[in-house]
Parts: sequence; C-alpha cells; structure tokens
Amino acid sequence: MGYAFTEDQEFFRQSVERCLTREMDFSKRQKLLAAGEPHSKAVWAAFAEMGLLGLPFPEARGGMDGSAADLAAVCEVMGRRMAVEPYVSTVILGGLALAGAPSTPARDALLEEVAAGTEHLALAHEEGHGTPEPARVAMTAAKSGAGWVLSGEKRLALGADIAGWLVVSARVSGAPGDESGVALFLVPADAQGLGKRAYRTIEGRTGAHLSFADVTLSADALLADGEAGPALLRHALDRGMLALCAEAVGAMEALLAATADYANGRKQFGVAIGSFQALRHRIADMYMAHQRCRATLLVTAAMLDAGEAQPRHLSILKAQVGRLGRELGASAVQVHGGMGTTDELEVGHHVKRILSAGTLFGTDQQHRRLVGRAMGRARNAVEAL
Amino acid sequence: MTPDLDAFRAEVRAFLAAELTDEMREAAVKSTSVFTPFAPCMAWQQALAAKGWAAPRWPVEAGGCDWTDAQHDVFEEELQAAGAPALLPHNLKMIGPLLLDLGTPEQKAKYLPGIYSGTDFWCQGYSEPGAGSDLASLKCAAAPDGDEYVLNGSKTWTTYAHHANRMFLLVRTRFEGKPQQGITFLLIDDMKTPGIEVRPIIALDGFPEQCEVFFTDARVPRANIVGAEHDGWTVAKHLLKYERGGGAPAPGLRRKLIQVQRAAAARDDGFGGRMSDDPAFQERLGELAAEVESLDHLFRVCSPRGGGEMDPAYPSMMKTLSADLGQSIAALMIEVAGTEGLPRQLEALEVGSDVDPLSSEFDMLAMPYWLNARATTIYAGSNEIQRDLIARRVLG
Repeated sequence: MGYAFTEDQEFFRQSVERCLTREMDFSKRQKLLAAGEPHSKAVWAAFAEMGLLGLPFPEARGGMDGSAADLAAVCEVMGRRMAVEPYVSTVILGGLALAGAPSTPARDALLEEVAAGTEHLALAHEEGHGTPEPARVAMTAAKSGAGWVLSGEKRLALGADIAGWLVVSARVSGAPGDESGVALFLVPADAQGLGKRAYRTIEGRTGAHLSFADVTLSADALLADGEAGPALLRHALDRGMLALCAEAVGAMEALLAATADYANGRKQFGVAIGSFQALRHRIADMYMAHQRCRATLLVTAAMLDAGEAQPRHLSILKAQVGRLGRELGASAVQVHGGMGTTDELEVGHHVKRILSAGTLFGTDQQHRRLVGRAMGRARNAVEAL
Repeated sequence: MTPDLDAFRAEVRAFLAAELTDEMREAAVKSTSVFTPFAPCMAWQQALAAKGWAAPRWPVEAGGCDWTDAQHDVFEEELQAAGAPALLPHNLKMIGPLLLDLGTPEQKAKYLPGIYSGTDFWCQGYSEPGAGSDLASLKCAAAPDGDEYVLNGSKTWTTYAHHANRMFLLVRTRFEGKPQQGITFLLIDDMKTPGIEVRPIIALDGFPEQCEVFFTDARVPRANIVGAEHDGWTVAKHLLKYERGGGAPAPGLRRKLIQVQRAAAARDDGFGGRMSDDPAFQERLGELAAEVESLDHLFRVCSPRGGGEMDPAYPSMMKTLSADLGQSIAALMIEVAGTEGLPRQLEALEVGSDVDPLSSEFDMLAMPYWLNARATTIYAGSNEIQRDLIARRVLG
C-alpha cells in the first residue's frame, strides 16, 4: 500500500498553495492580524470556490465525501502556509459534527451555507480537562418540556467568536467519567444566556470561552444522543486532531526548510554555521522528527479511512506531533539565534502553530499516558499497538 | 492473482510446529543483543533453508520466495508469534546479497549454497583497533605474492569470528593516495588458514560475542577479491545498503514493550502501588510505544516498500532511530527489573541450561539487554556518523 497523494489530492494541495501564496503572504498575514481581522474573506471565498469548504461532507448533502486522507493532504499545506482561516473549526470540527447528524431541511441548508462560505460553525467541547475523551464532559443538558436547557462552561472553542452556530457536547445523563449520556446539540450563537469571551490564540486563530446560563433549546437542537452521541463527537474530534496535526506537520516542514536555508547562509567565525557539527546534528534530529511525524500522520489518516483507527492511534499521532513538533520548533529558533525570537520572522509563528496543535484536545503528555494505559488493558501486542 | 493468505498462514504454522525446536525458542528468548546464540540459530537457518524459506526477500532465481508483501508480513508475524530466533545477518543480509550483486559466476557457484543453507558462517572483518567510524583509515595489509596475498595486521569487533569458518574483510592493498582508493574486499575460505588467530572478547554481559582476529603472514588466493583490486571501498559501501536499517523494526520492539508492561504489572512501585498503575510509568511506556509505532510508519511510508522513491537518508534514519529507541526501552527495562536485575546469572543465561533464573526471565535478561544495547549506537557507523549523513541530506 502506497502513501503518495492521489491526483485529486495533489490538485487541491496546489490550489490551496496558489491561493495562499497569492492572497496571504507573510506580510499580508501580519497586516491582517494587526488589523484584528479574524481571517481573509478573499481566501475563504476562494476556498468555497474550489469546493474545499464542503470537502468532507456527504455527497448527498452537497459535499464531496472527502476522506481523512484528503483532509490531511490539504491541511498540511495550510499549515505550511500558516493559514489563519477557520477551516478546522468550521468545516472539520463543527462541520463534521453537523454533517454526521440525521438530515433535516434546516441542517442541510446550514451545511450548504457552510460549503458556500457564508456561515461558520464551531465545536464547543473542551471544558478544561485537556483530553478529548467524551466521558469527561460535565456540562449538562436537562430536558425541559419538548426542548432542552444547557448549563455549564466551555473553554477554548476554536472559531466560536465568528460562528453563527455552535455544536456543543453536553451530558443528558450520567456523571463525568461515564461516556454514555454525552450528546451533541446545535446552538445558535445568539441564544439567550450564552456568554462569550473572545480572543485570538497564540498562533493567530480566533476562539472563545463560553458560558451557558440555562440556555433554552428546542427539541430539534439535539443532533445525536445515545450511542451516536459520543461516536459522532469522536468522529469529528478524530478528524479535527488529524487536521491540526497535519497543519503542524506542514509547519514542521516549513521550519526545517527555513532553518536549513538560514544555517547555510548565516556566517560566523568566517564560515556558514551549517558547517558546525553540533548544529548539523540538531538539524538531522529535526529532519527525523518531521519524517516520522509525517509518516504517522499519513498512516493514521489511512487507518481512519479504513475504519481501523482506535483512540490510541490518534493519541500516538498527537503524542508524537506534540513532543517532536515542539522539539523541532525549539531547534528552529535556536539555530536562527536572536532572529528566531522576533515576531518579524515566520519562524516563531510556525512554532506557535505547532505548540497550539500539540496542546488542543490533549497535550502530548496526556496522550502518552493514554497510550501507556491502553497497553495495560490489552491482552497482547497486536491489541496494544 | 491473490494468494490464499489463510492457507499460506496454515502452511507456515505447520512448518513452525514441526521444525522450530524448544532449544531454538529458548535461544530467541535469551537473545540479549542483535546476535542470537550461535548454534541453535544456525540450526534454525538450516531448517528454513531446507524448506526454501531462509531468505524470502532474495531474488527468486537466487532462492528468494515469490511472495506478495502480505505473504511476507504473514511469514514474519508467524515467526514472531512462534518465538523463532532472528537469523544472523552475516550470511543472508550481507555477504549473500553482496555476492549476488557483485560476485563472479565462480564465486556465486562456490559460496552461495553454503551461505544460504547455513553450513558455512561468514564473519565480517571491517573494524580495526585504529579504524572504527573512520573505516577508510584501515591498515590490515594484503601484499601480493604470486597468485596470493600475504595478510598482516588485525581486525577487531568481529562478531562470532570464533564460530565462523569463513570471513569477508577489507584489506589495504595500496598505501599511497587517498585512503579510500587502496582498499580491497577479500574473501577468506577457511578461518583455520595458517597465520590467522582468533581471540574472543568478553563483553559487558560476561559473554564472548565479538572477537579480535590477528593475521601473521596468512595466505589468501588473489582470486578471492570481490569487485576490483583497490576498489573495495565501493564494494563496502554497496554492502552498507543492506547493513543499515533493512527490515521492519517494530515487531521485535513491540514485543519488548509488552514484556516491560507485564513485568511492571507484577512489580511494587515502592510507594505501595503497582508500577504499571503509576502515571509516570504509563507516560514513559506510552512515549516508547508511540515511538515504536512511528518507526513502523516510517518503514511503511519511506522504505522501498512504501512504493515511492526511497529517501536516501532512510537507512541512516532507521539505524539511528531504532538504536536510540532500543536503548530507551532497555533503560525502562532495567528500571522495572530494579534490584532483581543485579545478580549475574551467566549459567542460567546459557541456552539449554538447567539452572533457573533467580526471579523472572525478564529480570534476568534486562541488564544484559541494556549492556548489549550500548553497541547498537556504535556499530555499522555510529549514530554520530549517521546524523552527519542525514544532515548532509538536508544541508548539503
């Protein structure tokens, strides 16, 4: 089995690359962020034009049935080009959670708007636990007449400040630690009782902490419950984590290239610093870090598409990208010397993207522990890894 | 055509049930370095050779198996599951493939049958006391005298030279000019040739594995060179292709990690709990497991098997990463073994011994494994050399 990109994937990658090169080089990106714009409207419109915004949705609902491997392919380029566009939050996290729920005319219309680039979604799941485990959800959804009342807090919901609709994980029964009872709800962003504290994340995305003070919802707000609730949540989270890791792998590639260029060009003591063995070995380690993160990304995507991915497989990807990405990023700054510590160079911005991807939905430390625990429960080596 | 994998698996299992002896399995368990105990390992190679399965990845016309990737996987899985010992690489992954590529028809006819069947064992004479990572500085001399070379000098770190009946080695045939351009690749038909003396070196684990080999006016036919005279460096580089990062690294490392987990489940953590429940232990185990899987992914995506162009840095990456990872696993092993890993158990470690381990097999093997793992970042081009090669790929 090969892991080369398909023709379609290559087409999307080149289109994204061209679009971001044209619309959003580094200086434009810096100006956009300084102006407080959440992202570039021109880039988003171009993404819609390419069909990128409906890529993972079912064909029957206006999408292209894109695979996890497709998402990894395009998100790697977005990471390499430092896109701040809310692709992961709107299309993957929010979009897949909505697209995986039973079809209704209103939901289909919303999905169409997302694919057309006229509406944004966000997934509100994180509550300060760190790990993605559905079982940890504490926020409650109480039955009230035919509808529901949501109470609780969500933290760091990517893209939640610009989304017209939020997909929210909440508990209809049971207690934290118990996966059953976790359901998904579709909540209008202007719902009564929904409080929002918006901010930019370190890497230039937008996000918000959310508070739900008895937010009242109608019955059709329930997207998935019972066994379907945690399953749909995992489906969206798995692909969201994959996409964030793909972006980080793209950023690692960009950092490696920038670092190699800099090391060969920068002279000290009369020679290129890239001739020093201490530095060359550091760059060899950067190369090996990028190569194995990328290999794990591609294999994990293929496992998701084959229906073979277990939670531990996503944990392995997150553990590797989180730790190796951070190490590679720190090395890139070190080799760039003082220049690497400034906001004026692309280097630090790539590093921040990697740190963010490594932390969202579980730090590498948490995922390593999840992998180690899974080994303890397995009966043999095949089950364990 | 898709072969029937289930039928193939059944055939492999039947063969293993009939041919893999308890002693061979014990040799696999008691392997604490990359080199399996000699006698049972060679017996196992002979059994495989008789079936035609000693070198499945060789070209079919040379004795390889006309299998799909899936069949190779099944074969390797079943060998692992049955606890078969790893074959020694010298015959089947080094001199065999090398002669297939670069040997004369006469050399192939003369040597390949014994290489494949395991009736011969070849040791590798590369390193010298003054030539390790800087191999090109080697000095062991071969002076022409009629149809023969006269060898004087020595080799060291020659694995299992005390078991070998044949040897392939690099000798210096020219002392002037660039060091790389005066080396010749030579075959020695008989280690009992007058003027050859082998002295085993006792390693940190208490066992002889490496040897010193001394040459004093030892005579070898000049026809025994591979490639051209003085051009042995090219031949040696060709061989390195096979030596570094060849096969799938993950299955063996996975098995090690499961052993570590199981051992930790039976061990007190010193604070009143089980070591396997300690979050710090779980995290370290998880880190190593994630690394093992990443290595497997690298193998699947970047090795020639991945289908695409092979990354020229791939062999160096695989060698570096698997050696580093093996050492990290070894470090966790001795931590889990704790004081139970300290008694020296040379008798119980021998294959066929009737002395039982003092506590568990894991505890007995952990320390020798850690000690022997030191060599993995040193041999076949130290990890420092490999990082130089990888950096050259990135920086030029």
